[in-house]
Amino acid sequence: MKFGKCFLTVIIFCAGFAAAALAADPKAGRYDSVYAQEPLTSKNLKDPFSRAIAFPFELLKWPMDKGAVLTEKYRIDKKAKWIYEKSVEYGVTPHLDSMDTEPFPAFGATFDMVSLARRKDDHPDLILKTAVRYGPKVFFQVASELGKQRILDTGFYTSGIFQYEMRENETFYGIGPNTSLGDSTSYKKETTSLGIVGGYEFSPVWNLASKFVYDHVNIGNRAHDGKGDIRNIFAGQDIPGLYGDDLLGYSLGLTRDTRDSKDFATRGSYQKLLFKFTEGVNGSPARYFTYQVDAAKYFRIASPRRIFVTRIFGESNDAVNDGTVPFYNMTKLGGSGTFPRLSQTERAFVFNRFYGKSAVLFNLEYRYTVWEYRDFKMSTSFFWDQGETSKDSWAFRLKDLRESYGIGFYVTYAQNMLLDFSVAHGDEGTRFYVKNKLPF
Amino acid sequence: MGKRMKKTIFFGMLGGAFAAFLCASATALAAGDLEKTGKNETCFYKDLFDQNVYSEGVNQIDLGRWWRRLSGKKLASANVNVFDEVPDSAFFTNRQGRQRLSAQDLEKGYSETSGPDMSQPLVVTKSEHEGVQPRFYVKDAKGDTYFLKFDSVGNLELATGAEIVASRFYYAIGYNVPQYTILRIKADQIRVAEGALSWDNSGFKKPLNQKLLQEYLLFLPQTADGFYRASASKILSGENKGFFSFESRRKEDSADPVNHRDRREVRALAVFSGWLNNDDVREGNTVDMLVAENGPTFLKHYLIDFDKSLGSAQNAPKAPMVGYEYAVDFGETFKSILAFGFREKPWQKKWRAADETASVSPAVGYFSNAFFDPARYKVQLPYETSRLVTAADGFWAAKILMSFADDDIRAAVKAGQYSDPKDSDYIAKTLMERRDIIVRYWLAKASPLDSFEYGSGKLSFRDLAVEHGCESATGTSYRAEWIGRDQEGKVLGEVRSSERAITIPAEWIAGGKDAEIRIRVIRASSKEPKPFVTVRLNASGVQSIRHAD
Repeated sequence: MKFGKCFLTVIIFCAGFAAAALAADPKAGRYDSVYAQEPLTSKNLKDPFSRAIAFPFELLKWPMDKGAVLTEKYRIDKKAKWIYEKSVEYGVTPHLDSMDTEPFPAFGATFDMVSLARRKDDHPDLILKTAVRYGPKVFFQVASELGKQRILDTGFYTSGIFQYEMRENETFYGIGPNTSLGDSTSYKKETTSLGIVGGYEFSPVWNLASKFVYDHVNIGNRAHDGKGDIRNIFAGQDIPGLYGDDLLGYSLGLTRDTRDSKDFATRGSYQKLLFKFTEGVNGSPARYFTYQVDAAKYFRIASPRRIFVTRIFGESNDAVNDGTVPFYNMTKLGGSGTFPRLSQTERAFVFNRFYGKSAVLFNLEYRYTVWEYRDFKMSTSFFWDQGETSKDSWAFRLKDLRESYGIGFYVTYAQNMLLDFSVAHGDEGTRFYVKNKLPF
Repeated sequence: MGKRMKKTIFFGMLGGAFAAFLCASATALAAGDLEKTGKNETCFYKDLFDQNVYSEGVNQIDLGRWWRRLSGKKLASANVNVFDEVPDSAFFTNRQGRQRLSAQDLEKGYSETSGPDMSQPLVVTKSEHEGVQPRFYVKDAKGDTYFLKFDSVGNLELATGAEIVASRFYYAIGYNVPQYTILRIKADQIRVAEGALSWDNSGFKKPLNQKLLQEYLLFLPQTADGFYRASASKILSGENKGFFSFESRRKEDSADPVNHRDRREVRALAVFSGWLNNDDVREGNTVDMLVAENGPTFLKHYLIDFDKSLGSAQNAPKAPMVGYEYAVDFGETFKSILAFGFREKPWQKKWRAADETASVSPAVGYFSNAFFDPARYKVQLPYETSRLVTAADGFWAAKILMSFADDDIRAAVKAGQYSDPKDSDYIAKTLMERRDIIVRYWLAKASPLDSFEYGSGKLSFRDLAVEHGCESATGTSYRAEWIGRDQEGKVLGEVRSSERAITIPAEWIAGGKDAEIRIRVIRASSKEPKPFVTVRLNASGVQSIRHAD
């Protein structure tokens, strides 16, 4: 009897189990959860050693992930974009410019007073702008412009300009092509400018502009990085303009620009011709003509993804009537050639490396797209810069040509420059650049 | 019945119930742990950083990965059963692959309701923007909540059609997806709930009112008869626990014992997404829901958001490089750097051939099979799971694709409700061609033999490559090798047949032992040794099947 009860218990138990099993999967067979090795277990994703060496990167990943999630969760990216767009719409355009000598970028804003006063619709051609820019340890600039963009619905335009600029640390290595990098010093340049601009815009391509500007220039001597005073380092040399000047400048410039983008062109060209006469006043001996040509052409090599760029730049400052050309207004070569620096592109050399009354510069660059995703692009560039300055006007010698060559990676969004990482090599070593602009 | 007998029956039933509980526990979860588990949060930026920056870097210091690369050893999927199939789970349910769905089922897809109840105006409870496109969370007369996504101006039917069609295919393949339906709605059929908020393109929330809603609608295209067209996804029931990782399992989920990297159905997403041209398969487009279906609570794993499938990039036709390169593709970029700009990538050739026009028609977008290569198809982020797809995984996926007959594809595409029959015909035709390309690729890469049966001393099987017209039966033969289990893989015997049935010598399975038989296909058209499939066999039949990885 006892055995019978036990047997019945077992039968009912088995029946219950079988019913449960059938209920779980009525179609036994090919798709059953029957595995070669039961039960299923998870294998380690990595071996212990690989896990250990990846651990420091995990510590980096965590805050990045949290930051990314918070950015999207609180729509911080959208908010930032909206704030930027609204600020431009209301007349405040922020600026950010990377600098080659300082880790922090230069920043600032242009204030369009007409838009700020919400009168843009009533006065679409009125120019009333103020701009402030500051690059820590490099420069401070404040500028204002008042004028009209189109006079009587013609291409004529005119404006009055005022600008104050302080450049804290402009390097100087002497004048001419054969100066030494070791003879390095710096000066402080403070310029106050007042002038008027007038011109005619024939079309979006052609523009003729004339300028009459008064500049008050103060030069302060300042040692940098423990190096000596400009007057001691270059003692006995005639360096005009060392104590500043009051200058009147008259210029006429003609520009033709057919590029498809000013930031990152893939076709077209530009040509700029400038003729300028500068005369010192209030006892300044400065008196010289400036002739400048700057032209670049962007060739597509059977594809918009392969661009060959040639650029030629030439400038000469010719003293007249025993006048002088102040050293700070001479043509300068060196560096990336982008704002806030004022020297022309010769990338293997430090900015302002060569000063001269005249300069010629050739830039060749082959840019080709290596990555594209939607509107983002990365291009690789091989570049070659060849240029020289001369102590006197048009006194160039082939042996004084200095060359730079290198490679760059440019990231753009819809033909707007986002990042330029370049490395250039030349006689004076190798230089790296991280910028958000291209020189041409 | 005596008291003792009742006691016996009671304890017997109790035992049975306990056994049933144990059985259910094997497939369900320790619900207590799961309820406490946190919500995994992700977003596109996180996915992009994790995959394109972090993983791409850290993978380079994974010694096991390097060893696999150098030795050519593949990492087999860990969740396949003895018949080399993926059993049903909270991730995947064998549907079309197990039994061909009817045209009605394919067209209907996953369905809880027939769509929002339009007997009363839909009530917008929340609105958000993607670009200028508004999207609404709405409640219908039945109290169900739906998420409405619309087409963009100039591309009516593009995103909504793609989402609906892709959801039908993913569901038929076996994945869990929410219910998606096409909704045609007029401006007066939608009103704003009290206290509703809107997150517009500014990123700031603001109160939503009827006037603002009407302004939002101005940015949406209308059909010729004045309707707005939306894809309405029914909000999933259960507790949202966030995304599921494509790499690791949730440790607290006892019903999910395998790391997701080693799940065949997760790996095969790369194959299916190649078919459906869905480059937006990423962790952010998955969701785990804590649900109770017929018993204890468990985590159900869903795929969501399919509006970047077929030729759609949500608000516009697909960009030409999509499907060919990762968002940031270090390998392709490096090759391009070395080629000095003179390497034309496949997508660039295709783009040039298409006269740089990204649209077959506004409703289709940029979708064609020109320069489509299943081996090179890439979703936008470089998930390791996509790179680990083995020949066996690909073969499994290809079998499921083969189960979609032309009529099945047409039925699922019909769900997109394209107004121009030419558009639905084009999409269906492109999917059919792409299915064939993918199937041909994987059947060549893996042993194409399937459905093994043993009886009357013969091992019979199907040659899917021949059946699918990829290879000719003429000149094809099959070689069975008897592998010694104790002699380190030594071939102990060999039999050949030109038929899809091989007579197995009696001594191979003599003594009740299992025989391990490796079967290779020999084609007259190819001298290359084909991959094999290993069948374990005894007198009672086929015990296991395993395609070589």
